[in-house]
Amino acid sequence: MYQYNDNDTQFLKQRVGQFSKQVNRYLERELNDDQFRSLRLRNGLYEELHAYMLRVAIPYGTLNAKQLQQLAYIADKYDKGYAHLTTRQNIQFNWIQLTQMGEILADLAKVNLHAIQTSGKVVRNITADPLSGIRVDEIADARPYCELIRQWFTLHPEFSWLPGKFKIAINGAKFDEIGLEFHDLGLQLNVNDKNQLGFSVYVGGGLGAAPMLAVKIKQFVAEQDVLSYLESVLRVYNLKGQRDNAKRLRIKFLVKKLGGEKFAELVEEDWLLSRNDSALKLNLPQLNAIKKDFELPIKPVKNTATENKVDFNFSIWKNNNVIANKVSGYSIVTISLTKLGSTPGNVAAEELRQLAKLAEYYSLGEIRTTKKQDLILPFVKNDDVFKLWYALKIYDLNSPHNNTFAHIVACPGADYCSLAKAVSISVAQRIQQRFHENNLLFEIDGLNLHISGCENSCAHHHVADIGLLGLNKGRQSYYQITLGGSTKYKTVLGKKIGRAISVYKIVDAVEDIVNVYLENKAQGENFSQVLKRIGIQIFKERVYG
Amino acid sequence: MVNTVEKKPSVKKYQLVNVEHWSLEARRLALVKGIILRANDDVESLALILNQAPLIAVDFSNFDDGRSYSQVKLLRKAVGYKGEIKALNVHIDHLQFIFRSGIDSYELLPEYQKYHSDYAMDFSICYQAAENNIGLVEQHKNQESSIYE
Repeated sequence: MYQYNDNDTQFLKQRVGQFSKQVNRYLERELNDDQFRSLRLRNGLYEELHAYMLRVAIPYGTLNAKQLQQLAYIADKYDKGYAHLTTRQNIQFNWIQLTQMGEILADLAKVNLHAIQTSGKVVRNITADPLSGIRVDEIADARPYCELIRQWFTLHPEFSWLPGKFKIAINGAKFDEIGLEFHDLGLQLNVNDKNQLGFSVYVGGGLGAAPMLAVKIKQFVAEQDVLSYLESVLRVYNLKGQRDNAKRLRIKFLVKKLGGEKFAELVEEDWLLSRNDSALKLNLPQLNAIKKDFELPIKPVKNTATENKVDFNFSIWKNNNVIANKVSGYSIVTISLTKLGSTPGNVAAEELRQLAKLAEYYSLGEIRTTKKQDLILPFVKNDDVFKLWYALKIYDLNSPHNNTFAHIVACPGADYCSLAKAVSISVAQRIQQRFHENNLLFEIDGLNLHISGCENSCAHHHVADIGLLGLNKGRQSYYQITLGGSTKYKTVLGKKIGRAISVYKIVDAVEDIVNVYLENKAQGENFSQVLKRIGIQIFKERVYG
Repeated sequence: MVNTVEKKPSVKKYQLVNVEHWSLEARRLALVKGIILRANDDVESLALILNQAPLIAVDFSNFDDGRSYSQVKLLRKAVGYKGEIKALNVHIDHLQFIFRSGIDSYELLPEYQKYHSDYAMDFSICYQAAENNIGLVEQHKNQESSIYE
């Protein structure tokens, strides 16, 4: 992974110093609430229902065991002993005191972690495929580009006061599983006919209250030109994006208003001025140095298959949670943090600590975070998979939920979040419980369920097979159901099936949908295939009939 | 956003007018000295007029509005403007960005007058090329080799 140099560590210290000063000015009433809000958000700090929430950046979802240990320390020292994994590969703390922020950021900086630009109207953390570098069907590892682009847009003098937030995702795999098209900007690594590496550029996607898919505005930008091209996109957005309507701040509204072609034209015009500027060319020696940091730390070992133990639970877990690394002899292990009754995405300090140890022992100290709120150990020797499972079992971290219905993705919802309209956590728990009682929990695969507590769509419900969106009517929680969303190979937005359903009846409705799926599912079919074959009407009739 | 400060004193002090009120005649008579850009003025289409003014001011009183930064960039790059660019009504938390944006001079809002300009000198490192990188370690430049040609 990326190795911090002295400048990087110095920069983090200076950032801690800057934010500490800003907090003090706020406490002394020299900054008003609006000004401080804008400043704290760009440091990942939200004011929530009970306390402040701090979002720590996990750039492109890669971190090391030492950082995980430190996150556990912070969860214990400054929070209530747990943290929350987000759908943008970051990690959040829910019980933060403002007066301790300087200390917390300093503790994070000790292990090269920070909260810079994890919120606010800036370029946010850049997400990538959690299997970057270790999957077979890959054009190139996206993470060196993520790191360079992350650095370039850190406290950028021109683009730090944008109309709205700006989320970038970069995909290096041949197929897109990270949902490029629902990001403000998506970059797909590509090779042109001259065998040069570069990117296709997608702009104007987003979920939220008005979900839209991005438009491809450029087939190919050579890698050395990507910074100037991104600057041109951001410049057009910065100047022309709507700022006076809080509901229309994102770039998707500008792209929709102008049309993809017109938007692309404006970018192209602006780019003429800068594309030959040598100062904006991506620094290839620097890129190559960063690429070295991301070279795989493993070499093929004699191809031993993962042991088959006569243990039913191990077999299920292995089947669901373990896949082959592209380097022979190694496996990629997903840790599902979704044991029965748990809060989706939450992980206890003690669990983080144990996982850090296991990562050190079995995965060369590297951990990845995913948009499904999981952790991944990328470099596990096939010989070690059973031992790892056994160790995970001791700490109750061996849930075999990956790719099954038991794995529910949910935001913190109205239990924590000041934006939420409805609860998410308890609905996730009740659904899990219902299917557990029916002994179906691990047997249902080929579909997933995401629950967002409000239109901001933090749980990405639009792109789930079954999506629940929390609303409030009167003082009660209601849920609007969408079906058929996906990020597998292509982003597809789910379709609403009808009127919202109350919190009391939502579990029944979900059960109805799952039953229709199970009754109609042919061998090997997944939810979107069944939905396509039988149509949405049957589901509607069962839920509302 | 918050802006309780009266903007006019600066505008008057520097003899600034909106772009549509600019005339060479008024300039000759020393009635006006420069143009005050509004955040939605289209810099490129106004290039001919803007290039006549020895001073162009941009207003930063809206804490969250960053359009002026891109306007300044275009003034320098697209319009080829060589005169002075002045930032007015500046919040101190914007200074670190203003220093590097291509702006030549600035005037803080009155409530920040008590701060020394060192207040905003938090960083010794920058991660990107900008109009002004003076005094900063440019992390994006590889130490051994020059930038890609």
